Amino acid sequence: MVNIGKSVIIKGELSGSEDLTIEGQVEGKIELKQNVLTIGPNGKIKAQILAKAVVVQGEVTGNISATERVDIRDAGSVDGDLSAPRVAIADGAHFRGSIDMQKGGAKPAEHRPADVKPAATTAPSTTTSPSATPAGIAATPAR
Amino acid sequence: MSGLFSWGGRKSEESSAASAPAATVPAVPDTLTTSKVFPRFMTAVAREATPTLLDLGPVVGTNITFFGERLACKIFVDDLFADIEAHARTGTREQLATDLLARLTHDADTIDGILCWDVFDFLDKATGQALATKLKELLRPGGAVYGLFGTTPIELTHYTRYIVESEDSLRLRTYPATPTKRNVLLTRDINKMFDGLTVAESVLLKTSTRETLFRKT
Repeated sequence: MVNIGKSVIIKGELSGSEDLTIEGQVEGKIELKQNVLTIGPNGKIKAQILAKAVVVQGEVTGNISATERVDIRDAGSVDGDLSAPRVAIADGAHFRGSIDMQKGGAKPAEHRPADVKPAATTAPSTTTSPSATPAGIAATPAR
Repeated sequence: MSGLFSWGGRKSEESSAASAPAATVPAVPDTLTTSKVFPRFMTAVAREATPTLLDLGPVVGTNITFFGERLACKIFVDDLFADIEAHARTGTREQLATDLLARLTHDADTIDGILCWDVFDFLDKATGQALATKLKELLRPGGAVYGLFGTTPIELTHYTRYIVESEDSLRLRTYPATPTKRNVLLTRDINKMFDGLTVAESVLLKTSTRETLFRKT
């Protein structure tokens, strides 16, 4: 399990092969096809998300596609489209968008692209934690 | 949505909707109501293998689970009540129609089932007509619209979340609203508003709410 702390800001593509918890900010794309992505209470995401399962306790603007389930907790907020065979939304959660539970499971997030602009810089994004790319997770800076 | 619970209640006539939050009104306990029309809505929508629903109310997690399990559908959640409340608070109801229509960006003839709940109670005649016209446009042939229309001219101080307990049972859970006078529509006004759709079922509930199902042929 990898944690991205709340002082970390990543702009670009994030992919990996282990479970990931994000408490910081990510803008771009997150892909964890075989793993669970948790957006912690302090997490702010503006990205397309593709994962096995996604748990939202923070804020997500963008489309979420999961092969197993999406779970928006009571403090969570999602503006975007969800695609997953199972979706759970707790009382108190904010959601606006579409929820696709049609048979056939998750599709790549392709509806209503998130309003995300890639960072103009090619340098690695600003971080204040010791490691911006923990083992098992690859971050590709935006072009 | 949790922020909606922090205000509500009656305001003095002199104060504007944009002023400090109104005093809290007493919470209204949940009520359970039996529906005769909702099962028919479900039957109509279930005819499609993978139907598309449009829910105009606030997201209710258990409803999403219910529809997902029963219908394996795609659901669009466009909470119009949030827009209604935003405009009520800022006193800009005259802009409401424009904003509501701007929110409904779906292509024509793509929606199999529309859940209006009681949204029309909170809209003036012109806004209600504009919304009904738009919904008719979005509805696919064979599609269904489910709506609830209050019949008593009272001041509304709460919105209602309609929680689907089963195919014929709804739990009504209220949350505070900026007070507004209910827009009471006669049956003929409702039918005229949805002119072009067929009234498949219309029942007056014990709560004095008219429960109506429209179909597009």
